[in-house]
Amino acid sequence: MSISFVDSMVAGAALLALSWGAAQPVQAQNSMARAAYKVPRTPDGLPDLQGIWQVRDTTAAFDVQDHAGALGIPPGRSIVVQPADGNIPYKPEALAKRRENFKNRDMADTLNKCYMPGVPRITYMDYPFQIFETPKYTLIAYEYIHNYRTIFTNGTQHLEGLDWWNGDSRGHWDGDSLVVDVSDFNDQTWFDASGDYHSDKLHVVERYTRTGPETLQYEATIEDPEVFTQPWKISILLYRHTEPNFRVLEYECQAYADEAKGGSK
Amino acid sequence: MRLNRFASFVFALVLSAVATAPSFAQPPAPPQGAGPGGPGGPPAAGNGGVPAFFGGPPHKPGGPVQHLADGHPDMQGFWNAANNGGAVFELQNHPTGRRPFFGPGKGAIVDPADGFIPYQPAAKAKAQDLFEHDLAEEPELHCYESGVPKQMYVQFGFQIFQPANYVVLTWEFMHAYRIIPTDGRPHIPANIKLFQGDSVGHWEGDTLVVDTTNLNDRTWYDTVGNFHSDAEHVVERFTPVDTNTIKYEATVEDPKVLTKPFKMEMELDKSSDSKYEQMEFGCIEGNQDVKHYTKDKGGAADVKVK
Repeated sequence: MSISFVDSMVAGAALLALSWGAAQPVQAQNSMARAAYKVPRTPDGLPDLQGIWQVRDTTAAFDVQDHAGALGIPPGRSIVVQPADGNIPYKPEALAKRRENFKNRDMADTLNKCYMPGVPRITYMDYPFQIFETPKYTLIAYEYIHNYRTIFTNGTQHLEGLDWWNGDSRGHWDGDSLVVDVSDFNDQTWFDASGDYHSDKLHVVERYTRTGPETLQYEATIEDPEVFTQPWKISILLYRHTEPNFRVLEYECQAYADEAKGGSK
Repeated sequence: MRLNRFASFVFALVLSAVATAPSFAQPPAPPQGAGPGGPGGPPAAGNGGVPAFFGGPPHKPGGPVQHLADGHPDMQGFWNAANNGGAVFELQNHPTGRRPFFGPGKGAIVDPADGFIPYQPAAKAKAQDLFEHDLAEEPELHCYESGVPKQMYVQFGFQIFQPANYVVLTWEFMHAYRIIPTDGRPHIPANIKLFQGDSVGHWEGDTLVVDTTNLNDRTWYDTVGNFHSDAEHVVERFTPVDTNTIKYEATVEDPKVLTKPFKMEMELDKSSDSKYEQMEFGCIEGNQDVKHYTKDKGGAADVKVK
């Protein structure tokens, strides 16, 4: 009797777990799966984030906040997770500037001139990128206009006096996560195509965490005391390309623009 | 070659003015006269005494080649094509120079032995026509990546990374990169043409052999109109000689343009500056770079490590 009692207990517990699992929000199930996932390591012992990654939520590159559709902008939910309302905490005068940017976006978005997109924007544009790791550097090679970022994980500090489109990236490994401190930005890039902007005081802390064999959680905390009342945070999921013939190719904006103008062949 | 290089910077700036294209971030010309190998300077080192990096020390041979845990030679670090007969400006032999722009040089072609690109007659005429009439079409003036093999000998050097199953190269110039898988994969279909082509590599002992196809016809070999078609096929060999030196060879086939393949050779020198880092290089964004050079190198930046 005791065996069948145990059996029925196990069966009951399994049933309970199943029904409990089914009743949980998807998010809770995901975090359970994440807790069980063991991040693979490179031969050098680093968490292995290598591979070709791309977002599926392609509307974030148009507008990182909750938005209805507009001409050229598909609708989408906010990727801003802090503050909880999903809104970027602009200072009042900065919000006015953002509205102005939105109106003038075709001309004012430097992306439309084939310029470098800046960070974090380049992460959630609808182009793949490939991550490579060595002990001293993590390299991200983006298909979009052959941008690349060398993330120093060799203990070096930021340089001073730079104003770079994609910023200066210094990283370290924190458990299973790659944490990247990005500063030395200029004030010429936006967060999206809707005019969400920053000053040259922008400071971004990115966190890349593999959450499953084919998913990479990307989080970025964004500070800019000239534009925002408080730091805010975005979170978006990247998916790994597992197609065996997939490659990072080239998207050469400037060359295509010349071609379209009938200029340099 | 100092004066020639300087003249070539002027040349490039003149070209960019002609083309009303953005002028590249040319670094300040190296000081004339006092450098190694220059007039009044100490004797030339093996590469002609030209520093591997502007402002850096001249190249010196290193120790025995080191190997990574995967058994392949460790070529990681910052490299620059040594003074290679002014190949970045004209790849082939230019015994009388291309005055008024720059003086004579041997280029980097070792086969054919005369150092000239073995053009078919029509292609030779086209190259001459490009030089005489269309220098504003020089691809880099339009902020395009340099293509293969030219990417290997552009200015300002490159960094080699060796993550597992890849060799990846990144350049400061035009923030170009090349991803070279060494896992035995095939090339992509021939109808996809790329500025940098599709490169696949394999190791032959300590030599990295890279086969590149899928190149488009929008890059040149140099700045003076020497061109290739989209049938270009390049086989490169990177052979480490010592910790500071790589022998670079490239054999180029192009049945639409050449009568036979040609081969070039040059030395790649490693930077001995342990603090060297690549800067961000804007091109179409406008020249933001000069101010990033430190004051002692003629720029405006007061860059220092915090």
